[in-house]
Amino acid sequence: MRAILKDAIGLFAPQGFLDGNNSAFFLNDEDIKIATDLNADMILVSLKKVIFFNKNGLDVFVKLFLEVKKKKNITVGFCDYDNKKFTTILKFYSDEMNFSLFKSYSIASLFSSSFKNKNKNVLLYSDDKSQKTAMAIELHDFGHNPIVCQTLEEFKEKSLNNGAYDDIINDTFIGQVGQKIATRVSGNAVIYSVSLFLDTEISNAFNIVYHNNSLNVGFRLFIFDACKVISMNIHALNFFSKLSSSAAEYSATICFTGLDFTKIPVSFKETMEDSGILFYEKMDDILLNKELLKELGASCAANIKSKRVLNKDIVSKLPSFVEATVATIEMMTNSKAKKEAIQINKIEIREKDNKIASSIGFYGDVDGMIILVFPTKIAKKACELLIGESTDDAELILDTLAELVNIVGGKIKSLLGDHGSRVNITLPRTYNNIDDLLEVIEDKKGVQVDLIFDDDKFLFFLTK
Amino acid sequence: MITNKIIDDFIDKIPPKPDILQATVKILNDGNLAKAAKVAEEDLALKAYLCNLVNKPIYGFKNEVCDIGQIFGILSLSGSQQTVYNYMLSLLCPKKWELFNLNENSFYELQANLSLHWKKILDFLNINDKDIESAITLLPASIIVTEALFSTKKEDVKLLRSVNSLDYNTILIRLCNTSLFDICNKIATKWDMSEQIQQIVYASSGINPSKDKQINSLAKWMHLLLFYELSQPTFVEAQLNDFIDFQLEYVQDIYEDFTKVMEL
Repeated sequence: MRAILKDAIGLFAPQGFLDGNNSAFFLNDEDIKIATDLNADMILVSLKKVIFFNKNGLDVFVKLFLEVKKKKNITVGFCDYDNKKFTTILKFYSDEMNFSLFKSYSIASLFSSSFKNKNKNVLLYSDDKSQKTAMAIELHDFGHNPIVCQTLEEFKEKSLNNGAYDDIINDTFIGQVGQKIATRVSGNAVIYSVSLFLDTEISNAFNIVYHNNSLNVGFRLFIFDACKVISMNIHALNFFSKLSSSAAEYSATICFTGLDFTKIPVSFKETMEDSGILFYEKMDDILLNKELLKELGASCAANIKSKRVLNKDIVSKLPSFVEATVATIEMMTNSKAKKEAIQINKIEIREKDNKIASSIGFYGDVDGMIILVFPTKIAKKACELLIGESTDDAELILDTLAELVNIVGGKIKSLLGDHGSRVNITLPRTYNNIDDLLEVIEDKKGVQVDLIFDDDKFLFFLTK
Repeated sequence: MITNKIIDDFIDKIPPKPDILQATVKILNDGNLAKAAKVAEEDLALKAYLCNLVNKPIYGFKNEVCDIGQIFGILSLSGSQQTVYNYMLSLLCPKKWELFNLNENSFYELQANLSLHWKKILDFLNINDKDIESAITLLPASIIVTEALFSTKKEDVKLLRSVNSLDYNTILIRLCNTSLFDICNKIATKWDMSEQIQQIVYASSGINPSKDKQINSLAKWMHLLLFYELSQPTFVEAQLNDFIDFQLEYVQDIYEDFTKVMEL
């Protein structure tokens, strides 16, 4: 069974009956490897469509969970269940719960280091005090605002006021959560939250693939929220120095906020400053200062690692890229595409209104970035297949568009693989207006292909 | 990706019920098992199918049974009709399965399991009606239709399903406003299967409950039985488990009885 990957959560969703005879056929280590290779930092099995399970059935999954947790240090567990299933699982594994239980997928995503919607108001209750505290700390670290209920009565009462909270957590159990560093995006800055004593473990906990992807898609400002850091050793120092040096290749900046140097040698600070790291007292000193943000590179997310130009190698792949894109949009809109014009130049978008865009980068044997500019109407039509209804919710359309572009990226990766070129794809990035897009790629030359889908103009742009 | 034209072409290509089968079903309907067996003997493929089917372990015969008269005798009237319908459906199977990891044997096994367990359910419900008994034979048509429509779009579907939990039925509805079960009904109409059979199978998708109480109840049992079978290792491995969406809430009220019937 293949996982659905969203917000770095690999979700497996078996249906029907689970027992010792069939569980291994639903999920095996190869399935999990595919999900973790795609940078899943949480592996979950949804029990939403499971009507029957026994301990033998779950044991197969739990064994796989523990193996992957040991290897990858990620969060594993079950989600999407009712109270009956929750209490049954707790009973099965009362002696040793080394995995997590999330009542719903949306609750699980609050604990994902890659979940982009932070600052959620979350009502929280557990009759296990240590669980309650652990969850509150985790939620806080991931950028949310937990409202902890001390008693069940208080929880029941507050739960009635549904609209007051973005999510309500109960019947949830945090096993050992993955030690990945919490990550969030604010504007054009990527913020990492680090805490306690930083040592050699930082290189395991830090998602370097995500970081590199962020550089590849154009992020230029990376902030480490270090207000909860007690101290660090030489291994952590080396890690940050290297990270800063490699970021400099992209003209990116690394900053620390709230780092207290009372228990950190002064020489460490000097070394970090020498490698280009900047220090600020508070996060808001950066985020609320527009001029400083501009200076640090967060207002312009252009890829300026090197002044790359398109080469013959990448242009020779163009027909395959266009074909993959066209086939995907045709599939999603059930319409036919017509090619209008091809030109090599800077991107030219005649009408900027009612258009949205998305980009995805690929790097490896060949590097490049594909930008798709959609009339909102086509984007909405393409999204209908994925979300099942027409919508005007801009955020939902952009999210679904990102998934669509992910599909295009996956196809391109597989097409290049067929031609012997191995590449990785970056996370997709969406732009809800064309000016934001132009800020990133205005000066870049590339190949522009104008297409028409049912009388709507659509633009494909390939650049480096 | 898939258009209504592709669906229409698929339905157009479905052959009408072969003459021998038509005659066999008619005689079975008249209740003459011996005469029906004699007619069925003329179709060697049908004979081979029946022989293969009843000698599967699930039927539990010690010695091989290959005489059609004997087979019809064992299966009884309603069972014989059901088996002839199963055979008709098997004629639609692809020579090579591309989308699902199935083969002739595993598909026959699915048919046999569904048929025998359906009989058990009907016995539990005290229902003795050969049309209702035969209804189960149409259910696997949904699998054949999925294979036929999606096998050439395997990679597209794989990518689509990697980002969103979409079953084949939902994809088809969103693309063409037609469900797999609509297409099953078109097959049933072409083969003169009864209206009742069509209604039960249509409601068994779990997303279009029937207003008729008995039909809806039977559809629930059929939906749950389908997912019981699709949870068996062979069919999980064949990637059939999530080809349509399991509607857990739809079957919740019969679940306890189901566990009794299936001795879970």
